[in-house]
Order: sequence, then structure tokens, then C-alpha cells
Amino acid sequence: MHKRNRLFVSIALVYGLLGGLIALVRLIDPSLIPGNVPRAHGHIMLLGFILMMIYGIALHVLPRFGGFPLYSEQMADWQLYLANAGLPLMIAGWLGWRDMLVMAGGVLTYGAIVLFGLNMILTVRAKGRGKTIPVQ
Amino acid sequence: MKIELIVSGVCPFCLEAEKVWRAAAADHGFEFAVLDIAQPEGAVLAQRLKLQTVPALLIDGTLRAVGVQSPEEALALLQPARQEAHDRMQQMGFTFSPDNRGFILAAQAYLMLAGLGLLLNGSFLSDNAARPAFLHLFTLGFMLFMIYGLASHMLPRFTGNPIREGVWPWLQMGLAHCGVIGHAVGYLAGWHTLIVVGAVLTWLSLAAFAFRVWPVLWPAEPYSNSR
Ligand code: HEM
Ligand code: HEM
Ligand code: HEM
Ligand code: HEM
Repeated sequence: MHKRNRLFVSIALVYGLLGGLIALVRLIDPSLIPGNVPRAHGHIMLLGFILMMIYGIALHVLPRFGGFPLYSEQMADWQLYLANAGLPLMIAGWLGWRDMLVMAGGVLTYGAIVLFGLNMILTVRAKGRGKTIPVQ
Repeated sequence: MKIELIVSGVCPFCLEAEKVWRAAAADHGFEFAVLDIAQPEGAVLAQRLKLQTVPALLIDGTLRAVGVQSPEEALALLQPARQEAHDRMQQMGFTFSPDNRGFILAAQAYLMLAGLGLLLNGSFLSDNAARPAFLHLFTLGFMLFMIYGLASHMLPRFTGNPIREGVWPWLQMGLAHCGVIGHAVGYLAGWHTLIVVGAVLTWLSLAAFAFRVWPVLWPAEPYSNSR
């Protein structure tokens, strides 16, 4: 499994623990963490845990199910960078009540989503590109 | 599986070898590192292996070849390790183990429970204080349980590394069931203590999952104890 894909899954686990933790802290004492904590929690879980888990597993398995190599490794690397640059900005924006930060982070996060989508479409529709994954 | 290439800055063929191995490693999703004998790490390794020639190729810490290989020769050198990983994968089989089957089945049950919100609220989610109940029956009960079952099934097969078994999956599952149900019932009944207890149990379940999956992703280096 490519190191980048293992990183995606590992980072997902870390976000899952982190997102659960801040929800827990909020339940125990809402004044401990400032900002829009439910919103931050919701997005840490959905964008950080669920989506990154899907990224890591899909980048590995969809090319294999499709029978063609991943269209672009570079796109997938940039997807990793953008997703992990964007989400912390969004979280910082929500916790600090800075809508501009959420917006900036959102653009980066969305960039990662688009890169992933394009890469997957180009991989799965790769019919006729000629190079199949060799079956030993 | 880890591929290491030992090179020297002054060797004219090393760049060629690096190109071949970098491509082969990327193609097969293997880790790849280039070590220079002029740097401390490379020097130690060269000394331990009593290297006479660069470029030299190590697979999982064992010296496997020297000189420049063609892409075909590279593939042939990778074959035994691939076969070994593959044999391990095939021993794991295709079908779900009982614990993962349990996660997937439970996910469907929770999905139907979460769907009851449609009947009770007239929409998936109410706007009152009990909103998080059905929300988390979906996110924790369905989504998290699906990830538990699918990731624990697939990741060991993707990497060829075993996942922690024994009591761990059952502990993870028990905590998650008690957690999700406690969390949801707590919100529906308006009982704060139960909400928090459910949250803590769910979090512990997540921690157990992370503990099980981590060595699948980052196994202890097979050759680290020989150094
Ligand atoms: C350790 C596990 C978890 C705990 C303790 C937890 C707890 C909470 C709490 C306390 C809230 C705030 C409810 C409120 O007062 O409005 C919340 C909201 C939310 N949670 Fe979780 N949760 C957990 C896991 C998850 C997971 C795995 C997901 C998604 C996959 C998720 C998605 C959400 C969403 C989307 C919201 C609503 C956010 C908003 O209102 O904008 N949660 N959670
Ligand atoms: C580019 C990525 C994303 C950005 C920039 C973003 C931004 C936002 C913002 C600004 C809000 C607040 C809306 C409001 O105040 O009414 C919000 C709410 C929410 N978002 Fe996202 N989001 C993103 C991705 C996602 C994804 C991938 C999911 C789910 C899979 C998601 C689920 C939600 C949910 C459930 C709410 C709460 C809606 C509600 O309470 O009615 N978001 N998001
Ligand atoms: C095109 C796809 C989607 C659309 C148009 C959409 C739309 C919406 C809307 C309008 C709501 C607000 C419902 C309400 O307030 O009652 C919502 C809530 C929600 N959605 Fe989605 N959604 C989409 C995909 C997803 C996906 C893929 C997920 C999960 C991975 C998701 C998870 C959630 C959750 C957890 C909530 C509840 C959040 C809360 O109450 O704070 N959604 N969605
Ligand atoms: C006749 C049977 C099979 C053939 C010919 C075959 C062939 C292959 C080939 C050529 C690769 C690419 C390996 C690489 O890039 O190094 C691969 C990867 C893989 N195969 Fe199979 N396979 C077979 C059966 C199976 C079975 C039964 C499983 C699982 C139970 C499996 C799971 C995998 C996985 C997880 C990978 C990705 C491994 C990696 O990224 O290193 N395969 N297979």
C-alpha cells in the first residue's frame, strides 16, 4: 500500500480521536473550548475521519478494482496536502469565529475533493489507455 | 515492503538505478529510500553489509543486488516478496471474519434505527434537543460501524500485515454498541450523564480501533532488531 494512502488512513484515525475528544470535552464543560464546537466537531468527523479514510482506501482499491493504475500519483499527493492544509484552517476559523479562515480552508478542502474526483474518474474510465496492472 | 538503494554521489550509474527503482517502487506501492554512502546512515549500512560496489539494492534490509537493473530485472527481484505478501493475503481469505461480519450487520440495524427518525420527527432530524440522537445513530451507528467492518477487513489485505485480534475487536464492538445506544438514549431521555457515558465509551472504542489498525499501517520494521 502506497505510503501516501497509509498516511490518509492514519491521519483519519487521528482526526477521529481528536474530533471525538473535543465533542467529549464540550459535553463535560461547554466553556472549555471556545467557538462553534459542534460545527468543528462535525467537520473533523466528516472531512477528517470519514472522508480521509475513504480517500486512503479508495486511492488504493479503485485502481485495482478498475484494472488500471491510478491516473496521477501527483494529483493524489496534492490531494493529501490540500486536504490537510484546508481542514485545520476550517477548524481554526470555526473555533475562532473567523469566517474568512473557514472560507480559505474550505477552498483548499474543496480543491482536494475535486482532485480526488477527477483522478478517480480518469482512472476508472481509463479504457483503452493501454497500460493495465499486470496480473502475475 | 521497503526498498533501499545505496548510492554514492560520484557514481555515474547510480542516477539510472535510482530512476528504475523509484518507478518500480511507485508502481507497486512499496516504500523507497535512497541512502548515500557519504552520509552517516548510508555509511553505517555499507559497513555492516561490507559493500564493495554501488549502487546496491536492499529489500527489507537484505542485500539483493548490485549494479543497475533493467525494469524487467527489477520486477523479477520484487517477485518473491510480492509472492510472500500475496500468500499471506490469500491465507486471510476473501470472506468476512465473524467480528467484521458483526460490525457490518450492526451497521445495517443502526441505519434502520436512524431511519425511524423519519417516522418520529417527520424529517430525518428534529430541531429539538434530541437532534443528536438520530444524527449519531446514523454517523456512529451506521458510518462508524461500516468503517470498522470494512477497514478491518481490507487494510490487512492491502498491506499484508496482520491486525490485532483476540479480545480487541470484541472489546471495540462492545464499547461501540454501549456507546452509541447510551448516547442516543441519553439524548432522547434528556439524561446528560448517560450522554457523556455513551460518548466516553464510543471514544474508547475508537481508540481500540486505532490501536488495532496502527500496526497494520506501520509495522515494526522487519530488520530493525538486527541493527
Ligand atoms: C466519539 C464519538 C462522538 C461523540 C462523543 C460525539 C458527540 C457529539 C456532540 C456532543 C455533538 C453536539 C450536539 C449539539 O449539542 O448540537 C455532536 C454533533 C455532531 N456530530 Fe458527533 N460525536 C461523535 C462522533 C461523530 C461521528 C463519527 C460523526 C460523523 C461521522 C459525527 C458527526 C456529528 C455532526 C455532523 C454533528 C452536528 C454538527 C453541527 O451541528 O454542525 N459525530 N456530536
Ligand atoms: C469543502 C468542504 C466544506 C466546507 C467549506 C463546508 C462548510 C460548511 C459551513 C460554512 C457550514 C455552516 C452552514 C451554516 O452556517 O448554515 C457547514 C455546515 C455543515 N456541513 Fe459542511 N462544509 C464542507 C464539507 C462538508 C462535507 C463533506 C459534509 C458531509 C459529508 C458536510 C456536512 C455539513 C453539515 C452536516 C453541516 C450542518 C448543516 C446543518 O446543521 O444544517 N460539510 N459546512
Ligand atoms: C449531495 C449530497 C448531500 C446533500 C445534498 C446533503 C444535504 C444535507 C442537508 C440539506 C442537511 C440538513 C438536513 C437537516 O437539517 O435536517 C444535511 C444534513 C446532514 N448530512 Fe448531508 N447531504 C449530502 C451528503 C452527505 C453525506 C455524503 C454525508 C455523510 C458522509 C452527509 C451527512 C449528513 C449529516 C450527518 C447531516 C446532519 C447534520 C446536522 O444535523 O448537524 N450528507 N445534509
Ligand atoms: C490468482 C489470484 C491473484 C492474482 C493473480 C493476483 C494478482 C495481483 C497483482 C499482480 C497485484 C499487484 C501487486 C503489486 O503491485 O505488487 C496484486 C495486488 C494485491 N492483491 Fe492480488 N492477486 C490474486 C489473488 C488475491 C487474493 C485472493 C487477495 C486477497 C484475499 C488479493 C489481494 C491483493 C491485494 C490487497 C493487493 C495489493 C497489494 C499491494 O499493494 O502490495 N489478491 N494482486
